Amino acid sequence: MSEVTKIKRRDFLKISGITGTGLILGFGLSARAGENVLTQFEPNAFLKIGADNSIVIFAKNPEIGQGVKTSLPMIIAEELEVDWNKIQVVQAGLDGRLGGQFAGGSTGIKNNWQALRTAGATGRSMLVTAAAVKWQISESECYAEQGKVKNKRNNKQFTYGELVDDASKLDVPESPGLKDPKDFKIIGTPKKGVDNHKIVTGTAEFGIDARKEGMLVAVILKCPVYGGKVTSFDDTETRKVEGVRHVVKIDARAPGQRVAGVAVVADNTWAAIKGRKALKVTWEHGEGVTESSAGINEQFNTYMSQKGSIDLRNDGDVDSAFNQSDKVLEATYEVPFLSHVPMEPMNYCADVKENECTVWGPTQVPGYVQRLAEVITGIARENITVNMTRVGGGFGRRLMGDYAADAVTISHELKLPVQVVWTREDDIQHDYFRPAGMYKLKAALDDKNKLVAWHLNASTTSRYLYRGSKDSPHTTEVFPDGFPAGFVSNFRMEYTPVKTLVPTGAWRAPGHNATAFIDQSFIDEMAHLAKKDPVDFRLEILGEEDKEMPYSDHGGPTYSTKRLKHVINVAAEKSNWYKKESGVYKGFAAHFMFGAYVAEVVTLALDSNDQPRIENVLAVVDCGIVVNKSGAESQIEGGIVDGLGAAMFGEVTIAEGMAQQDNFDTYKMIRMKDAPKIDIHIVDSQESPEGLGEMSLPMISAAYANAIFAATGKRIRKLPVKLSEVSS
Amino acid sequence: MAQFSLNINQHNYKVDVNLDTPLLWVLRDMLGLKGTKFGCGKALCGACTVHLDGNAIRSCSFPVSAVKGKVVTIEGLSENGDHPLQQAWEEIDVPQCGYCQAGQIMSAAALLQRKPKPSEKDIDMAMSGNICRCGTYLRIKKAILAAAEKGGAK
Repeated sequence: MSEVTKIKRRDFLKISGITGTGLILGFGLSARAGENVLTQFEPNAFLKIGADNSIVIFAKNPEIGQGVKTSLPMIIAEELEVDWNKIQVVQAGLDGRLGGQFAGGSTGIKNNWQALRTAGATGRSMLVTAAAVKWQISESECYAEQGKVKNKRNNKQFTYGELVDDASKLDVPESPGLKDPKDFKIIGTPKKGVDNHKIVTGTAEFGIDARKEGMLVAVILKCPVYGGKVTSFDDTETRKVEGVRHVVKIDARAPGQRVAGVAVVADNTWAAIKGRKALKVTWEHGEGVTESSAGINEQFNTYMSQKGSIDLRNDGDVDSAFNQSDKVLEATYEVPFLSHVPMEPMNYCADVKENECTVWGPTQVPGYVQRLAEVITGIARENITVNMTRVGGGFGRRLMGDYAADAVTISHELKLPVQVVWTREDDIQHDYFRPAGMYKLKAALDDKNKLVAWHLNASTTSRYLYRGSKDSPHTTEVFPDGFPAGFVSNFRMEYTPVKTLVPTGAWRAPGHNATAFIDQSFIDEMAHLAKKDPVDFRLEILGEEDKEMPYSDHGGPTYSTKRLKHVINVAAEKSNWYKKESGVYKGFAAHFMFGAYVAEVVTLALDSNDQPRIENVLAVVDCGIVVNKSGAESQIEGGIVDGLGAAMFGEVTIAEGMAQQDNFDTYKMIRMKDAPKIDIHIVDSQESPEGLGEMSLPMISAAYANAIFAATGKRIRKLPVKLSEVSS
Repeated sequence: MAQFSLNINQHNYKVDVNLDTPLLWVLRDMLGLKGTKFGCGKALCGACTVHLDGNAIRSCSFPVSAVKGKVVTIEGLSENGDHPLQQAWEEIDVPQCGYCQAGQIMSAAALLQRKPKPSEKDIDMAMSGNICRCGTYLRIKKAILAAAEKGGAK
């Protein structure tokens, strides 16, 4: 390493950027010829190869547990044609040359697939050209294999390291040839997480671990009532706590930084926590104090009995269809607020100086944090460095930059580097919850027991309305093109948002985590009304003919009924769906979202107290090409466990403008004993790859509720499931 | 403030801290042993699990003044990061976000010391104090069983 650094590096870094359509490679500054000996080949910002054969691949996106620090570099390594075990993966910071860098919407693989293949193939192609020039043969007589370029004529070979000097002098090809997917050696195999060893030895660096020597820690007392303000504070006792250095009132200075409060800044975390306990603040609670779950429910109930404020879809004529049918069913479903509670509480570091600023910590949106820092400090964006640590869970919580904005604000005020640390109580109280909602469904069958009408009237505490977006408040709350829309000749969807000061945000599989529960449960209800098997009923609605259905939400513009029917059929077959066994009860659900198709079957039995107990979950998933088989199965498994946990326990309630839950004693989480066995079947597919971080979650609650109905005859229309109320 | 002598991972440390400081913050903020994580501050999630004389304790709710005995943290579980549980965790590719895993491993290690061949039910019981929001419980259980098979008590 020291030898490498001694030799001056020619400035040959080629500049690349990704637009929506793909990778653009450009040339760096030209070098003064003959000045230096090259030790590194950097065809673009995604990778570098040293003369010593060292290969570094940069992980561009935030790693929040979805596995992109492993899977995205796998794509580059595949096309670069290197031995996976010989590369080093390094987390990149925010870097415009790498294209969009964020974790959200399960888009990491899907959005980067083409660009990362091209990035790797560019490196390989240039190394092959370099070898061909050296041997004075055509490129077609050379091929790359496991970090070497080989000569087909005589079995001679160069290692990539031997070629870095020559390759660096070449022009970057505009469209390097990509591999034929049948030649993939890395993509589609199981690869272990690149940070596994560090994680199991306690040396992986998460945001909370990234406070530098000598930095202060800030713990903030925020108004417990949503929307409240600080009137005055008394820090006499706080300043007596050993280690407390500063007490400073902070106000929201950037959009999204919603809560003002008083920060206690200390030498260490415990001193800051103790100092905060001793702080006396007088609050102006404002109108938030009137917010309550009861009040929100009252509004939901009112809206259920009225026409929706937004007409989202109106096919045929549902009213006359209901009048003409004698098999009409109506049911009201409810879902509660949910908290994100990633295991790593919110925290962030900021070091704001006169004309520059460095920020780092756990976030899903490093670019957004940079913009917040620019707004708060007035420092130009190019002078704001954003570094990324591992992130101890995201689930949508860290799409918000509030806690990072707090760190920047305090560092800016004090002119000192600080780390903001939230306690779990802060995390739950000041979360942006999964919206609560109520959904009235009504559907009708014709004389052949076919589904002829479907009417949804929904109301939720819209997150788009909460954040003041210009987009329609129904966005990510309900999906007008979602199944069974388009298959039922009379179909209506209406929506009315509830405006509240209770914060809402994106929670793993936003919107779908509610709609898949209600749609896939009510389909089950209609199947029973039709006296048809629930799987057959779904297949009958989808029809025999394969169609591409228009789908205007994320994951569209269409979805394939062929692929949806396929996962349904495979799930029925693998679960022995049609085989009836006494004492074994099954529930089915299938859903399309974010480009992937998932069917799940919950099998349960009744225990000695007649309480349902899950024996097994089967998931059949079609997400196109799978990059990391181990990571994919992890995501599917994790999504199911997480979704089941939410269905079994998840609930935040509001009273007097505050969450009534504040830690894991009141906000219950699924634990090991309740995590069932899970069988996973991934459809072998050559379709373009989709993500997987969210797609196995939303339908599990319906599969579970449908299985409970099969076992007990009790229909679950409100989450979380209260098992004590459903014993058969 | 008071002086405490602590034996952690077979090293002796002297710290000068407030009596009520939880062991967690001594480890993380004073001694730089950041493998032990802060999750809830109330002994509800297990992210901060360490061993005190071989027993799993929640260091976030354990005042440093009450520490009488030898402490082992994830950094000291094995000399070369090769405890059978650590190996199984890597092999089975358990971690997702990874934040809770040090605490999970420390709970599992205490279990295997007490019960080298645990049943699935023993594992459910021993691990019930550790939360994983990513939902890695099934792989955790698999890794514990695999480590037990290979003599994970060591």
